[in-house]
Amino acid sequence: MLIKKMPARMENLPELISFINICAKEKGFDAGSLSRIQLAAEEALVNVIMHAYAGSEGEVEICCLRSDPLSLTFEIRDNGPFFDPLTLPQPDLKAGVADRRVGGMGVFLVRKMTDQVLYRRENDVNVLILTFFNR
Amino acid sequence: MEIIYSQDQGITTFSVAGRLDALTVQELEKKVEQWLSQGESALVIDFEKLEYISSAGLRVLLATAKKMKARNGKMCLAKLQSNVKEVFDISGFSSIIPIFDTLGAARDAAK
Repeated sequence: MLIKKMPARMENLPELISFINICAKEKGFDAGSLSRIQLAAEEALVNVIMHAYAGSEGEVEICCLRSDPLSLTFEIRDNGPFFDPLTLPQPDLKAGVADRRVGGMGVFLVRKMTDQVLYRRENDVNVLILTFFNR
Repeated sequence: MEIIYSQDQGITTFSVAGRLDALTVQELEKKVEQWLSQGESALVIDFEKLEYISSAGLRVLLATAKKMKARNGKMCLAKLQSNVKEVFDISGFSSIIPIFDTLGAARDAAK
């Protein structure tokens, strides 16, 4: 298992995403899949950076799990208050420009880009588990 | 991210290259805000060289589209790469912001 832990700050986003990208490349994902993995990673990490610690300092940890060669699974962990992003309502995709709500797309994109996404609360830790299949 | 700004026959074109993500989005937001404050009403955004977009990028595009609609202006996008287009399709943005395959078509529609 490969682990990366950093302060949950926007300036660390590129390094965190690049860590996930390295794990994904080792699994042999193609460019299109890498782009989707990167997008899911950014959205999930930005949520932690923006919301998990409500203005105070905290850390985010990524664990790339050892899984079978045909899939990539990584966990994103934070020590913020209980928050299950998968309970957020889906955006209204049919709304016109005037009615469409600005925002609320991040978690939606995480769901769409992953093959499986799960949340669990582990003691005082929020854990989001993202899985991608290499087809 | 690199943004090139040009104006021709009342239509403004922003050519955005690189990545439009949580880290770079403010740059585009600032440039567009500046442009909006001039009261212009025809906008084309050329994404030929845009390699990546996330929800942060979508957010600023939607906010801009709303402002353009409120002033009866026109906003069109041109030349999206396939991975960027995929994000637009999935998020339903393809049906709320007009997208064109060529810059010429986008400019004609923005007139």
